[in-house]
Amino acid sequence: MLEFLFNPPGVCLIGASHSPEKLGGIILKNLLRYGPGRIYPVNPHYDELMGIKAYRDIKSLPETAALAVIVRPAPEVPGILSELAGKSKCAVIISAGFSEVGRTELQEEVRRAAKEAAIRVLGPNCMGVYYPANKLDTSFLPEGRPVRPRSGNIGVTSQSGSVMASIYEALEASDAGVSKTVHYGNAADIDEGELYEYFARDPETRVVVSYIESVGDGRRFIEKAAMLAREKPLLVLKAGKGSSGVKAAFSHTGRLAGSYEVFSSILKQFHIREAANFERFIDAAKALSYQEPKKRGGRKVLILTNGGGDGVLASDESMKEGLDVAGIPENKYLRLKSSFPPYYGVGNPFDCTAESKDEDYENVLRELKDDYDGFIIIALTVVSGISERIVGILKNLRKGTGKPVVFVTGKDEIGQKMEKMAEEAGVPSYPMPERAVRALKSILE
Amino acid sequence: MGEMEEKIKELIKGTGDKEVLLEHEVKGFLKELGLSVPCGVFVTGPCSALQIKHLKKPLIAKAASRLYSSKSDIGGVRGDLRTRSEVNAAIKDLMEIRGAEGVLVEEMAAGRLEVIIGGIIDPQFGPVVMFGLGGFFVEAMRDIVFGLAPIAKEDALELIHRIKGISLLKGIRGKPPADVEAIARAIVVISEIIGTGLVEEIDINPLMAYSEGAMVLDAKMRVKRPG
Repeated sequence: MLEFLFNPPGVCLIGASHSPEKLGGIILKNLLRYGPGRIYPVNPHYDELMGIKAYRDIKSLPETAALAVIVRPAPEVPGILSELAGKSKCAVIISAGFSEVGRTELQEEVRRAAKEAAIRVLGPNCMGVYYPANKLDTSFLPEGRPVRPRSGNIGVTSQSGSVMASIYEALEASDAGVSKTVHYGNAADIDEGELYEYFARDPETRVVVSYIESVGDGRRFIEKAAMLAREKPLLVLKAGKGSSGVKAAFSHTGRLAGSYEVFSSILKQFHIREAANFERFIDAAKALSYQEPKKRGGRKVLILTNGGGDGVLASDESMKEGLDVAGIPENKYLRLKSSFPPYYGVGNPFDCTAESKDEDYENVLRELKDDYDGFIIIALTVVSGISERIVGILKNLRKGTGKPVVFVTGKDEIGQKMEKMAEEAGVPSYPMPERAVRALKSILE
Repeated sequence: MGEMEEKIKELIKGTGDKEVLLEHEVKGFLKELGLSVPCGVFVTGPCSALQIKHLKKPLIAKAASRLYSSKSDIGGVRGDLRTRSEVNAAIKDLMEIRGAEGVLVEEMAAGRLEVIIGGIIDPQFGPVVMFGLGGFFVEAMRDIVFGLAPIAKEDALELIHRIKGISLLKGIRGKPPADVEAIARAIVVISEIIGTGLVEEIDINPLMAYSEGAMVLDAKMRVKRPG
């Protein structure tokens, strides 16, 4: 049961320190923010640490210390797990120095000790869990370094700690929030497959994003990933794309089958999304967290802009992404042409020019909302006719059609305000048309 | 599915203890599983008129050897043979190639669309089937897709539609569409073979796809042997 990982009645820290410079001190400081339960620091030299009662040994811990966070040297860990039997149900092993440095037998010992003690293990060599809604943070990342994302609906799994830290920063900068994040390290026990099972059932998580370097059992990984992808969107960023055909020069197939190509192809076989790089990973994560993807959402997109060049950029990117920048239906073209000044670009992209006003957007969308599957709205704020009313128009479009809508606006004061308002209204905003297009594609996929 | 698996296991038993099978042995194997192969005869010396009488000319002669992974690279192929003396001259030449155990003399197949179907044991995913466009040029074009093996016919069809050059299969520049069902059947058979876990690698390159049917023009197989 992974519940003890996320909602433990109490957390003990084996290797707690008094010093905020040591890992054991940083982790303790992070843990002290945990709301729903008590923290039990364990250190043989102290009766009190950072203002709360400390325990000299594991023996003296009460049973409510259900989650153990362990940050002692690697060789001590198997013994610690044995001692925790009966006290803890789950352990996050922060300690490094196991299979990642070749000490596979030591990692095996950890696995065995945990099994005998009936304790589920995350790690070793991991940062554990960040669950902002519950104020749970088992990591050794100091507060604000990096800034953490707010609470939201994106579930994150990562095989790398440093990438997890980058994901925090990027999601925070994009104003996207996380439900729970798990850095699973060496995956001696709990692996990404089990986390996928958990997230599939977790009502707080709408989309799961996953940074992966390698998978142990490919078939098991795919089975769990495919099962999750049937419930909610799963987006994978796979690192380690270096081409490496299998050594055997005997067959063409053997020469052609690089491990990344096989992995990527099989993800497609099971309809699991894959991001080409980190930026697209984050942009898509944000988009999917704002708007539910539509199964068979269609490919026709309307680009509505007041900057002709931006419209072209959006159009180019749309075609590159396989979206259909379909022309305006014939029967509506004449009506639209006659309702706007002659210098407006009536078509797709629809260009309201520098003379654009909020009502223009409203009128075009009222006319065309049923003819397209997704909308890219570009409202540059360098023109005076654009105001915050645009956001209300976008909100109505979303509410009225339920179709995906993405927004691009200026970076000035008004633009920043509109961006914030748009996102509060559930419309993700991007600084450049191309990114907005790719985000829309990830929702329509 | 179990029936085909049983049959494959029987056929593998029948290959003795050889690791690398010769082209005609692999073709015989695939023929037993329902795939089309060119009519031909395997000889270890000059052929008689009777042996090649029923074969439609022109013929192609290919050296059979376990040593080389590409016959054309070592000049082990002679095509456009129309008379018995031409065939026997070719056989004489080819038998001189180091490691040649014999010569496969076949009807030359008409050209249409070359595809490749292969199976390997991937370290991450186990048995995996590959489909690609390009035949001879597949390594340059790399228009290939992979799927877990064994694969069902509907999934094989979906796999086929994922390649970049799908328009070639659907028929362009006045050419009729290729028989995608026949290709899918071949993918299923190869996936079943690699799916048994008894085979290390298998390749059909090329499978020539026509508007009706598909034919195995060349094939390789390496059986898993203990030790």
